[in-house]
Amino acid sequence: MDKLLNITQASEMLGISPDTLRRWDEKGKIKSIRIKRGEYEYRYYNQDEISQLLIDKDIFKTAKDWAASLEPDSPLSFYYCPNVSVFNGRLTKLETALMKNSKFFPVSSLLVLMAGEIGNNSFDHNLGNWPDVPGVYFAYNLNKRVIVLADRGQGILKTLSRAKPDLVSHEEALKTAFTEFISGRIPEKRGNGLKLVKRIILKHNFKLYFQTGNAFFNLKGGDTELDIKTGKEYYQGCIAKIEF
Amino acid sequence: MVIQLKKFGTTLTSRSFGQEAFSAFKPSLQDVADDESIIVDFNGVNTFSPSWGDEFISPLMEIYKERFLIKKTKNPSVIETLLLLEEIHGFSFNYID
Repeated sequence: MDKLLNITQASEMLGISPDTLRRWDEKGKIKSIRIKRGEYEYRYYNQDEISQLLIDKDIFKTAKDWAASLEPDSPLSFYYCPNVSVFNGRLTKLETALMKNSKFFPVSSLLVLMAGEIGNNSFDHNLGNWPDVPGVYFAYNLNKRVIVLADRGQGILKTLSRAKPDLVSHEEALKTAFTEFISGRIPEKRGNGLKLVKRIILKHNFKLYFQTGNAFFNLKGGDTELDIKTGKEYYQGCIAKIEF
Repeated sequence: MVIQLKKFGTTLTSRSFGQEAFSAFKPSLQDVADDESIIVDFNGVNTFSPSWGDEFISPLMEIYKERFLIKKTKNPSVIETLLLLEEIHGFSFNYID
């Protein structure tokens, strides 16, 4: 028998209020199963249907809305990693899902590496200094071949300025993070992992969108350099989309 | 001494977990003889990243230098990460079959 969730569990999983879920039920967006207990009838939801709803969402738009929000709340619980242990647990789930499918061989380990470097960077550079909501939004859709990560941290400019105080713009900071080896180990260790992310994107014909502050780039296999631009949208932290 | 990295996990991607692994393993290095090699075996590891590697592999390389050996692997994340660590630190790993 399919696993059933009560309305509180289902709404928490979706990151919406129980009232919104009742409205969705009335509109037929997701049907509840009514079970009578004593005098009252309660709504239950099929867990597989809720999971499918999450997969069908536009995970990139959801990440952008959350990362840019002026009144931030925790993102959808299904995608939210409040700490590094939850993040790495979900990273292992991604790895397992990729390894189950032979079409992702042999690049599955590289996809996990890239998601791991970007997500762990968020934790490494913001621990104890999150401006508002701590943690990372981490979602993927293997059918659409996309992985999305976002944080509401301090952004690359602020954290990289500790190792390189002459940085003044988000554009410069983004370029430095993806192209320059930072050898200084004090006061903060830098893994240089983003340089490897760039290398893998180019070598394996993947695509990467990355933004911090108002600076962003779109990188794809065959590109010869990072074309960093400034945009109207602003993210205090970082947001990344890997397409493979 | 052979260090089987799968004993630390199969997804080796976080700097903090790399630090933890090295701290936990460090006492075992006291048993290494002066002329003994340290061999790192990646067999069973699914994903290996620069953050973890820089906390575990780089310090071992700095301590044992030419006595530090790595078993060859076909895992792309291991190959790419080791190349990056060589580039960052300016050293060359010695590989064995």
